[in-house]
Amino acid sequence: MSGPSPAGESRPPEPDVDANGVDRAQIRAMLALTPEERLRHVEEFVEAALEIRELNGTGPIR
Amino acid sequence: MARARFAEILRLLATEEVEFLVVGMTAGILHGAPVTTVDLDVVHRRTPDNVARLLRVLSGHQILTTSLGDRDCLGSIDQGRGYEELVAQTEEMRLAGGLAVRVLGLAALIDAKERSGRPKDLAALPVLRATLEEKSRRPPDRG
Repeated sequence: MSGPSPAGESRPPEPDVDANGVDRAQIRAMLALTPEERLRHVEEFVEAALEIRELNGTGPIR
Repeated sequence: MARARFAEILRLLATEEVEFLVVGMTAGILHGAPVTTVDLDVVHRRTPDNVARLLRVLSGHQILTTSLGDRDCLGSIDQGRGYEELVAQTEEMRLAGGLAVRVLGLAALIDAKERSGRPKDLAALPVLRATLEEKSRRPPDRG
């Protein structure tokens, strides 16, 4: 998933991918949020994915 | 449309004074790992009073199973470790409004996933380990 951006920033952080393929910039963006903000960010992502699935007639995610 | 309600469910459980620990990938998310999940896994304390409180919340709000997937209320994880065995390895995190939830520590979550050996758990390890490393360089969460 794309990393969260602090309010007021329009562009996501530049990728900073480590040797394992993990984007450290995404982690740092998540760490800049409070725990509840992190959860809300994932909720928004899941809701968007579910909406696309529903629009395409696919069932619940298992 | 179905809604992801992780924060709302945690708030309900905390408000009703259910003793529980957030485990699994939701714990990873709360710690700052950039991952996603459709399950909210919690380990509850298995005392009769606590189970009654948990059931009251679950039955009152129809949140055990939704189109999002299961809300897994687990008696134990990681080779039979329950609430009492895990609670020392948790951190308290604050939600908006001052409610607190206990979340399995990131190092303990990584250990549990390493021990599980399941492909889906092993696949999550690089991002969880990188999150632990990044987190160790920062001040504690402001949540």
